[in-house]
Amino acid sequence: MSSILEEIETKIAGLKTSTTKSNVGVVRETGDGVARIEGLSDVMLNEMIEFPNGVFGLALNLEETEVGAILLGDNVKISEGDEARTTGKLLQVPVGKELLGRVVDTLGQPLDGKGPIKSDTFYPVEKIAPGIIKRRSVSQPVQTGIMAIDAMIPIGRGQRELIIGDRATGKSTIAIDTIISQARLNKAAEEGRLKDHRPLYCIYVAVGQKNSNVARTLGVLEKEGAMPYTTIVSAPASDTATNQYLAPFAGASMGEWFMDHGMDALIIYDDLSKHAVAYRQVSLVLKRPSGREAYPGDVFYLHSRLLERSARVTEAAGGGSVTALPIIETQAGDVSAYIPTNVISITDGQIYLETDLFYQGVRPAISVGLSVSRVGSAAQIKAIKQVAGKVKLDLAQYRELAAFAQFGSDLDAATKARLDRGQRIVELFKQKQYNPLPVELQVAVMWAMQNGFLDSVPVERVKEFQNKLQDFLQTRKESLLSAIRERKELDAELGKDLKAALEDFVASKPVG
Amino acid sequence: MRVSKEVRQIARELLHASFTDNQLDPGRVASVVDSVMSKRPHNCIKILDYYKRLLRLEVEKRHARIETATPLAPATGSEIVSNLKKRYGSDLTSEFVVNPEVLGGMRIRVGSDVWDSTVRNRLERLQQQL
Repeated sequence: MSSILEEIETKIAGLKTSTTKSNVGVVRETGDGVARIEGLSDVMLNEMIEFPNGVFGLALNLEETEVGAILLGDNVKISEGDEARTTGKLLQVPVGKELLGRVVDTLGQPLDGKGPIKSDTFYPVEKIAPGIIKRRSVSQPVQTGIMAIDAMIPIGRGQRELIIGDRATGKSTIAIDTIISQARLNKAAEEGRLKDHRPLYCIYVAVGQKNSNVARTLGVLEKEGAMPYTTIVSAPASDTATNQYLAPFAGASMGEWFMDHGMDALIIYDDLSKHAVAYRQVSLVLKRPSGREAYPGDVFYLHSRLLERSARVTEAAGGGSVTALPIIETQAGDVSAYIPTNVISITDGQIYLETDLFYQGVRPAISVGLSVSRVGSAAQIKAIKQVAGKVKLDLAQYRELAAFAQFGSDLDAATKARLDRGQRIVELFKQKQYNPLPVELQVAVMWAMQNGFLDSVPVERVKEFQNKLQDFLQTRKESLLSAIRERKELDAELGKDLKAALEDFVASKPVG
Repeated sequence: MRVSKEVRQIARELLHASFTDNQLDPGRVASVVDSVMSKRPHNCIKILDYYKRLLRLEVEKRHARIETATPLAPATGSEIVSNLKKRYGSDLTSEFVVNPEVLGGMRIRVGSDVWDSTVRNRLERLQQQL
């Protein structure tokens, strides 16, 4: 109690003699979440401005006679003639492990009713990305648990991999599956079941989504036990355009704290199309000149400076990383629209989801031809490389032949074998949502496919075979799976063990 | 109201022409306005409106508003004004305002700069800190 009294005493003493100097201006116009202020001669770009009634704004336009500011709070509390003052501060958000398991708004204030966030560290929302000296190349994997991605479009820690596709093609599902997979791995490492695992903390930034969607995502993550390793930053559709514009930057700051402290973070920006729309709104009401599709001229810089903050840094700089999975929604599969091309050119690859595949029942509906990962293969573990090296080629050949084979019935044996193999790979890569597979199971299943154990299984029963094989391996061959997990490569001995296990399994006639 | 680049530029030049020895010259302001009115250029009203705005901001930059809860003693007032003139130039105009809402102390505003030692300001800061 006495310490509180002393604190108040010192605060009062500090006020007794002080004369404050400040820089003020007068609100001339307000509306649509922005205010135009006359005066404020000393204001700096991106500086926070204080209005009456505890409302804050951010100076974005510094003009000859006035300052254009976006408002962060309730704009009905501000009226013409109000006095605004500079604060000398940049917009900051709380960061740290205290945010894990929480749902927060753009300013880091809790939305989940679980009490205040007890973080005493703050990071500015806009921060310069790490420079060349601090960076190093990507070499550690992000295990998404989605077999098609881990095998063909691997993602590394520090990478920026775009998830792109039309509405309702499973973009967010891929992101949520990845979060669930990380949570399971983190938990296994905590319980000592996984050695040498660097935990990956997740930040899910929801921009312009329906509140019900965010609630559903939260529900799934809670049900799957992923929330203790996850922060949700929510700027829903009902929030102001300002908050929607700032939310990804706030999420990036929260991720950077992990990187600066030698840890790894994964940020999902869901989605950057709506983010660009929010920024367009802010820019138009600030009367900035508009360009293509009415987006302002700096919409490319908006996304490039955001995604450039993802990095993997050297040991000297802590050795942490920030991985980004931005999501972009296309209209009728048009990847050549303005925002999609921008973000494609910024990121290190993209996972393209196709509506047609989705409705054919191929889920996740990943288009193998259009999806790439430019740096991720350096991060794949050796075991996956051994079993998945040829899969992408096999699938690409299958798609080409499948189109060709529609016209003729007489096929040579080699073509037929290739088609059969392709059909089975497609079946194998179908995966239920919220059901990420551990990497050792992926290796075992793909090894079975590579070594012809699936060739005798009818295509429509491949999934059944796979499920039974997974059950068999998990219940009866746990030691084999843990050996793959620990050694991370398939040596001759493991190959022999896998062969024996598979022969054992096939002998039990799993699919009749 | 959107002001075109051309209007802004002309108004800026007019403002520039309204100074003598770095001080606003009322005589030159009047002659500038008269000359614009007589020549009647395109966008004449917009130019004059914007010129008026620039002029108002310029006048505000050279005007001190001194707020106190009770009237100041003439000697104190003139001392403050002379100190301010040293800082902002001899053409600074001043205005004394009695505002009981400040409770005590003094608030001086010149252009965008504000020095505030009022009791009200201290109480507000204390409220924020606590």
